[in-house]
Amino acid sequence: MAPVTLTVDTLFAAMFAPILGVFIFWFLQLFFIELQKRMLGRLRHRHEAFCRFTNYIGMLFQTISQALGYTVTRSGIASFQATVNYGEVEPKKEKEGVFEWIARSFLLFGPFFIPSGLILLVSVFVIGRGFVFPALVQYTFVESLTGFFASLTSYAKEVVGFLIDIDLLNPVHVGWLFVLVFLGLGIRPSYIGHERKEKIDILYDLRHIKDHLVEKPLYLLVIFLFLYVFYIVSLFLNPVVYIGLFTLFGWMSLTAIIAILMTFPLLLLIKATDWIQPQWKIVPFLSVPISYIVARVAFLYIPTSQIGRMSLLVMVLSTVVVTIALLRYKKTNRFKTPPKMKHMRVADGKKRTSKK
Amino acid sequence: MVKKELLKNEQMERVLSPHPLSFMKLQSLCIFVIVWGIIVWWLTDFSEYAGMFSGNDWFPLILWGLILLLVGVIASLVAIQWSIFFLYLGVLAGAVGLIFWQHWEAYIPLFIFIYSIAVSIVGFLIVELYRRSHKYIITNLRIIFKGGIFTKRERTIRYDKIADIDAKQGVLGQIFGFGTIIPVSQSGFGLGSDKTMAAGGVELGSTKARFFGFAGGGKEVQTPIARSYYELHGVYPYKNVKQLVEDLVQSHVPTQYQKEQSEFQKQQVDIQTQMRDLLHKHVSDQPRRKVGRQPVEEETEEEETEEGEVVQKVPRKKVVEPEEAFQPEQVDIQQQMKELLKKQKTARVNPPEEEEAEEEEPEEEAEENEEGKEKA
Repeated sequence: MAPVTLTVDTLFAAMFAPILGVFIFWFLQLFFIELQKRMLGRLRHRHEAFCRFTNYIGMLFQTISQALGYTVTRSGIASFQATVNYGEVEPKKEKEGVFEWIARSFLLFGPFFIPSGLILLVSVFVIGRGFVFPALVQYTFVESLTGFFASLTSYAKEVVGFLIDIDLLNPVHVGWLFVLVFLGLGIRPSYIGHERKEKIDILYDLRHIKDHLVEKPLYLLVIFLFLYVFYIVSLFLNPVVYIGLFTLFGWMSLTAIIAILMTFPLLLLIKATDWIQPQWKIVPFLSVPISYIVARVAFLYIPTSQIGRMSLLVMVLSTVVVTIALLRYKKTNRFKTPPKMKHMRVADGKKRTSKK
Repeated sequence: MVKKELLKNEQMERVLSPHPLSFMKLQSLCIFVIVWGIIVWWLTDFSEYAGMFSGNDWFPLILWGLILLLVGVIASLVAIQWSIFFLYLGVLAGAVGLIFWQHWEAYIPLFIFIYSIAVSIVGFLIVELYRRSHKYIITNLRIIFKGGIFTKRERTIRYDKIADIDAKQGVLGQIFGFGTIIPVSQSGFGLGSDKTMAAGGVELGSTKARFFGFAGGGKEVQTPIARSYYELHGVYPYKNVKQLVEDLVQSHVPTQYQKEQSEFQKQQVDIQTQMRDLLHKHVSDQPRRKVGRQPVEEETEEEETEEGEVVQKVPRKKVVEPEEAFQPEQVDIQQQMKELLKKQKTARVNPPEEEEAEEEEPEEEAEENEEGKEKA
């Protein structure tokens, strides 16, 4: 541990560096969540079930966050309900003041960090590399921020490297990818309540969070004071502890961003297949595993140094080529009605038109 | 085919079958067999732990079989259905039998992989056949449930016999829009019980003295439960079907007016029965006396024939019954009959008045509304 030189920067400014870092990544996460929401919004009319499924994941984690808030504040949980349409947690005791504020904080921030925290936990066991806490020489604002970003960069490199070298014939790797995409589809807060809200976007989330923070400025001040005391104590004992705490949140945000990014190819593939004739729709999805297995088998006979990477590349390229070819030659009729005409017929066999 | 089974004046509302994902519990058993087969193959042939299985050819099969049976026991306990365990036991026995028969001891990991996939495909096909054997026909009078691959089962329930409707929708159902509706009949068909049992045993002493104690407890909860061919299992679209069934049940429940009408009819029948009894009594109480008929006057009747001639007929004697002095008992009976007739008249008068009042009200309201509109 490097000796600490007490300057104004060290004493007052450096503390805010990791907080700023976390905020930057959290905003980035919000931005990607918004992108994903918009993509899902475009798919909704054709893939209602898929969107309901992604909503359910988000709803489930939001409800878990709320329940966690009530547990931490010792309010107790009287009822817990997480359905596709709404989530509801009722506390045993209605606490007010700081307890209510903390419980609400869990509800607002939990959905951003709990699913990504779970992926991070799985990544520790599966990847096991890149979790390096920053080792600082000087405890200044810039150095702290640089250390924070360096730590996140090393983690990102390892995760991306793992993704490039992923072995899709290894059940552990496939399981990790499944968890990444599965939770990536639901790393976002969803609206909780019986009423139907049509527009819940980034501004809606931010407005709620801002209102929540501005509502009790005193609590914020207390938190800052607590953090400052924690920073000063750790500065003299081990400064890595303070930065490490925020680095953990940074990793979570970064994991969430990677997870959301990994869902984009899936969403794009779903979107692209909407333009392909129904009987050919399945082909791009089948192309993914088949091309990978064929490539792996082929590379057993063609000596190559990086079989995994090459197979992955073949898989991606062949899927793209197959999809483009189908889009070109097997495009569906755009003027077709979304529900099939045979569904308009009722059980008694009488034909009915779609218009009432 | 279905139309032939309909009764007179019966109309078909919907013909339904379970959603492909509604038997996910059964399908997940097959999915587990595939996944576990792949993992065992990877573990024994490709993973870094492959060396652990190199000692004996049978190690992969032992591992595969033990976990399969363990999961079978857990699934059986959770689902309270021991057939799952025996199913997995059968799968394991089949694998062992095939290996011995074909002498595939050297290729056990690969065999497990291929065998798991083959067994699962067969499992999926059976589940699909089972699903397709189900058919639910909702008509305007009743619901007909059909199902079963080998043994064809059928249940019919009329809407007026439905006492309660249980509806449930799991997570998959909420996502894909299907759900299960159990109509519970008045006789209790559609109700089952969930049983939980806890037991513990204690053994004391090692060599000479031994004491064995056993404690147990059970709990039974009544819950709507039925076989998939006796309920509307995994029907799609759940909300519409539920609404339809509830509407049909509601339409077969007697309304307040119908209840009043049946009450009124009952009352009428009671009065008439009482009157009949009284009449019987009246007739039986009359003294049987031989009364000589007295001719009073003679009448001559004239009839016109087709030809227009007037034919005089033989004079007839008009007979007048002698007035009898009523006994006091008979006077009572007559009094009672009079009262009953009065009661019947008053009962007859009241309902139409109420009906008219009910019918007039909407007209008056409509008129008022029209007036209001005109004023506006």
